[in-house]
Amino acid sequence: MRRYLAYLWREFRGEILVLPGRTILFSATAILLILPLLYPHPYLLRILALTFIFAIFAASWDLLSGFVGQLNLGHAIFFGVAAYASAILNLRLGLPIIITIPVGAVAAVVAGLVVGIPCLRLKGQYLSLATLAFPVILMGLVFMFTEFTGGELGVSGLTRLAPTRLHEYYISAFVGVLSILAIWKITDSKLGLVLHAIREDEVAARASGINTSQYKLIAFCLSGLFAGIAGGLYAHFMRIAGPQSLSMLTSFQAIIWTIFGGIATIYGAVVGVFVLFPMLEVLRVAPEIRLLLYAAIIVLVLRFMPEGLAPWVVDRLERECPRCKEHNAFTRRECRVCGTPLRVPLQKTPVSGEHMSGGEGLSASQEGG
Amino acid sequence: MTVPRQQQAGAGAETGSPLLEVTGLTKRFGGLVAVNSVSFSVGRSEVVGLIGPNGAGKSTIVKLIMGILRPDKGSIRFRGRELRGMAPWNIVNLGVAGTFQNTRPFRRLPIIANVMVPCLAPRARRRGEWVKRIEVKARDALEFAGISDLALEPAYQLSHGELKRLEIARAVATEPQLLILDEPFGGLNPSESDLLAKSIRRLHRGGRFGRLHSEGMAMIIIDHKLSYLLRIVDRVLVMNFGQIIASGTPDEVVLDSDVIEAYLGKEEMA
Ligand SMILES: Nc1ncnc2c1ncn2[C@@H]1O[C@H](COP(=O)(O)OP(=O)(O)OP(=O)(O)O)[C@@H](O)[C@H]1O
Ligand SMILES: [Mg+2]
Repeated sequence: MRRYLAYLWREFRGEILVLPGRTILFSATAILLILPLLYPHPYLLRILALTFIFAIFAASWDLLSGFVGQLNLGHAIFFGVAAYASAILNLRLGLPIIITIPVGAVAAVVAGLVVGIPCLRLKGQYLSLATLAFPVILMGLVFMFTEFTGGELGVSGLTRLAPTRLHEYYISAFVGVLSILAIWKITDSKLGLVLHAIREDEVAARASGINTSQYKLIAFCLSGLFAGIAGGLYAHFMRIAGPQSLSMLTSFQAIIWTIFGGIATIYGAVVGVFVLFPMLEVLRVAPEIRLLLYAAIIVLVLRFMPEGLAPWVVDRLERECPRCKEHNAFTRRECRVCGTPLRVPLQKTPVSGEHMSGGEGLSASQEGG
Repeated sequence: MTVPRQQQAGAGAETGSPLLEVTGLTKRFGGLVAVNSVSFSVGRSEVVGLIGPNGAGKSTIVKLIMGILRPDKGSIRFRGRELRGMAPWNIVNLGVAGTFQNTRPFRRLPIIANVMVPCLAPRARRRGEWVKRIEVKARDALEFAGISDLALEPAYQLSHGELKRLEIARAVATEPQLLILDEPFGGLNPSESDLLAKSIRRLHRGGRFGRLHSEGMAMIIIDHKLSYLLRIVDRVLVMNFGQIIASGTPDEVVLDSDVIEAYLGKEEMA
């Protein structure tokens, strides 16, 4: 037992404490999981639960649009399909949450196929325009079958996510953490590598023997799955599925959060939600200029941190080893993996010739020593 | 070396027929006929050079074979199978790999990841199932192309010559039966070119390169640097204005009067 704990501690030190970025993420998660126990304020819990739900949503957008480069302007369709599916199953058929949310997510996967298949033949702006149309079409259907969807008012009176606020919070938080970890793991896998390659150059990926159509569909479905989980959670948390879940605003929020936090990183999307969503609540102290302030802050941050907030912070706190490309805390003098001195600040601009010869020199001296 | 090749041939019907057979291939871009009813074939483990002045249609032929462009007319048969209309990834997985004249790296990915992508293609997985770690295989491809010391650099940092070699590493990683190289010597300095010529000959002879296995693949090589090209190839096809105007051994072709007029007359022989 004690040996196992010692092992865990060593792993923890070696994997998490070595890097400031990971330490911050870990501490933030720990605080978010413990703080509500000590201070279970219902309003705070409500905001944080929604933040976790939207963090899944933003990360799922980043998976499809950031990683695979399929710029989806109608991401709300996955959210809305799952919200409506969960709501209708719950109210009309009386199914419990444990069934409605997974089935809602599956419905969003099907929506992923429905959107993805026509999008296989489209690229760039054309693809984005097409994705923009899907939630609009679904919105039209919602208003056509009002006896089923409740029209403008939506479907309300769903079962609560859990009997108490605290339980609701912990369900959202655990599903949120697990989903985000899953998305991050996907981007870090062989599948993620292929998705990356498709974004960088689709023709070259095809010429490398990759069935890009199949992989793009997988990306649409996975993105739909996680957005759908968020949509189902949201419907049960708010106890309503309404047309605003399909609105352009819902789609654009995911984009704003992700770009603010740092696109194509997953953690950036999550950080973006955790900064911007509570901030919008805090800004309620100045109701007249709330949205103006919100916009001004986003514009200012992106002006000085064009890659987004999270990568900017990581760039200050961590340094890449020029030789083995491992990240190191900014305080270190030499790389924690290969021992290469880190004192020279890393060049930002890719000056190929110079940089390369430097790298070769280093590796040569390393072999000599 | 002959044993695995016969195993691969599978059906007896294939023996004797060429590996690649192109007939009546035509491609138009608007009013321009870039490839005009071209027919040729490549035998098993034959190395064919394809030369011709700028704009002759050489790269277009490569893209047609690779399935990146769709032909207007004609057929492309590889081991008896029609490639026309097939998706590019299926063509690669049948055993045809090509490089791009204007290199197309995955710019923000490290070099090693660039080469791991073709290692994840079904063909590469099928052939090397016992290799659990595709990264090792990707490293062997980099080793072969002579850029393994740059494995962790992102592709946008590479020089032109290094990008050319990355293209070759990526193509070789799928262990093709037919390798098409579009101007592999372009942008390489003489010593790099010598090294590459040596690697190509080694690849053609067949054998093992770490985890990679070659059974003496057939090749189509396009280049303007004739001094290197003519030393490697068994046979040369000469193109001009979308048509093949001559073919023969390197010695025959340099003496052909049409070729001299169309090609060598204009450009100094390198
Ligand atoms: N996508 C395209 N659209 C329109 N025209 C094209 C396209 N690709 C090639 N062409 C034209 O087709 C002709 C043949 O081009 P191709 O690239 O095959 O020539 P090439 O023999 O490879 O020349 P080079 O030696 O310069 O590489 C050229 O006139 C070119 O301008
Ligand atoms: Mg060309």
